[in-house]
Amino acid sequence: MKSLAKRVRTTEFSLTVLFVVGFVALAATSGGVMLSGQSIRSFLTYLAIPILIGLAQMVVLAVGQLNLAVGAMGGAAAAVMAQMMVVWDAPIWVALLSGFLAATLMGAVNGLLVVTTGLNGFIITLGTLTILEGVQFALVRSFTIDGYPDAVKDFGKIEYFNIPSVFMVAVVTAVILAWFFRTNVVARKILATGANPLAARLSGVSNPLSVFLAHTLSGALIGIAAIVTITSLGGINRSIGGDWLLSSFAAPIIAGVLMSGGVVAVYGTVMAAGVIRLVDIARAQYSLDPSVVNFTIGTVVLSTVALSEWRRRRSEIRRQKYVEVDSE
Amino acid sequence: MVTQEKLAARFGHLATDQRMILAVLVIAVFLAFAIRTPAFLNGQFVIFPLIRDTAVITIVGLAQLVTLSIGHLNLAVGRMAAVSAMVAGFTYERMGFGLFAGLIAGVLAGALVGMVTGYIIVKSQVNAFIVTLAMDFALLGLVTFTYISLTDAAAFTVKPEGMDFIRAGSLADFCVFGWCGPSVIPVIIFPALAVVALISFLYYRTRLGRELLVTGVNLRAARLSGIPVNTRIIQAHTLSGALAGLAGIFLAYVNGSFSAAIGNELLLPSFLGPILAGTLLTGGVVGVFGTMLGTLLTLVIRQGLLVQGIGLETLNIALGVILLLALSANKIRTSITGLFRRKAVE
Repeated sequence: MKSLAKRVRTTEFSLTVLFVVGFVALAATSGGVMLSGQSIRSFLTYLAIPILIGLAQMVVLAVGQLNLAVGAMGGAAAAVMAQMMVVWDAPIWVALLSGFLAATLMGAVNGLLVVTTGLNGFIITLGTLTILEGVQFALVRSFTIDGYPDAVKDFGKIEYFNIPSVFMVAVVTAVILAWFFRTNVVARKILATGANPLAARLSGVSNPLSVFLAHTLSGALIGIAAIVTITSLGGINRSIGGDWLLSSFAAPIIAGVLMSGGVVAVYGTVMAAGVIRLVDIARAQYSLDPSVVNFTIGTVVLSTVALSEWRRRRSEIRRQKYVEVDSE
Repeated sequence: MVTQEKLAARFGHLATDQRMILAVLVIAVFLAFAIRTPAFLNGQFVIFPLIRDTAVITIVGLAQLVTLSIGHLNLAVGRMAAVSAMVAGFTYERMGFGLFAGLIAGVLAGALVGMVTGYIIVKSQVNAFIVTLAMDFALLGLVTFTYISLTDAAAFTVKPEGMDFIRAGSLADFCVFGWCGPSVIPVIIFPALAVVALISFLYYRTRLGRELLVTGVNLRAARLSGIPVNTRIIQAHTLSGALAGLAGIFLAYVNGSFSAAIGNELLLPSFLGPILAGTLLTGGVVGVFGTMLGTLLTLVIRQGLLVQGIGLETLNIALGVILLLALSANKIRTSITGLFRRKAVE
């Protein structure tokens, strides 16, 4: 059992406090509008996608990789689903499942390319990003496809006690993912690869397999995000996924998932996504320019990176001092 | 026997020389397009813009190449270009700077942003990916916000003296004894060639260039050999920022206005050129002139497909495939070279 003092000092705790304080402050200054059922519903509905894409990015960060194609993969998968339902009259479940599998497959291809070429995941996903943007545009052109069955859109409108169904999907996914990383052997191997590839290999972990699985898992999470997109939005066009990149990186990095890999923070990523969503709400409430959000988030990410590194260094220096004392 | 081995080795070297392959490819692709659609040979609407874009994108590619040489990346090239264009536009419109003075101010601003990026990387010891990515987001907001707060149309539409000449001027404007140059060669290619020459000189002839490459190959070994690696890292990012800035200002000249949209589409092209030239992502190997050839190749393909009436989506797919192919080609090339080398050793 961790002591209370240790729990209070974690990033998760700071983020929770930040979220609660921010929410209360916004609710107070909005004169109660923020607490109406309608506001809460829309807040949570549009929180589902940031959570899912943040988790999708977190999974690849954990293995020391990154995925620039999150938005293009999600956009292309959503376009596949819309196209299947509208043009080919495919049953809903077939279309949704195909979209999910398509995204998973894209992730698997990313993983395969990274493993076989031995190149950095960044440059591979830059390539697939460009290709998938082309695929998405080829599927939807400059139209908005919204002729898919109402049953799909109705699912996005279901809510219990003002908690929308899509938000529940995101939370359930996060819980399953957290459980997976805590208990599953394969997941622990992925983390081992991320933390120290050499040590992992010497302990009998297959690093290429870990990298491949992490990219595939990322694809699957993006597939869920694409399903959420198609159910919660009125239609699919070429701009879907275009603005996913920033929030996908911002949430896990603010939550303390370092670029070096080996760490996941599911709860922290969810909370960070919530904080980012609050910034968005604040912008709307005070009618500021959208660029302010990008600037704020960029600055916050930069300072988080700097701060976490400074903290790590300080603890290292302290450790060195202990060693020196011991040797005396 | 010896000469035969030498010949084989030389042939192997020539056949796998990246610049040779690129030059052959450029000519082959160019001819293929020209034969299929004679409209491709239109000087005013195809060849002139093709060379003009090559000039600008080559400089962007070199901005990326400088960071690749030390084993880093610059995901903020596009936004650094936007910052420089913004500063240049501001000095032209609000401070009445001349063309050249504003250019210098803009490039200095890009260099400053690059220097800050390098400083953060060195001080925080965080991966260059993440620092430049965060920098990209921060600058994206900053640039858009500045344009919106300073201008009505979200752009500086000023046209300083000489800007039109850089945009539309060609060798036909230079006449010697009644003989004028061809009108398909834009003047903007000359500053780009000068930059290529300068960067070539830096990497192949100077101590600084060597030290940058060594830093890229093995940071620890470089430090132990007495190279001030932190300074070199900051210098590489500063140079990268300055080059990105120069490209951004040129892009603004070509577009005719200074807006936040400059640099939106630069990230992928910035990698295509250097990688086609055989520049290693892990650092230590650069192909400066090859970057120009690689850029030319991608732009010939792009322009050729556009002339054929092929849409944006196919273009994107083609560019992505080229990138992935170029990456695997690198792999194939090294294994071929390895084959020859192994034979020579035997």
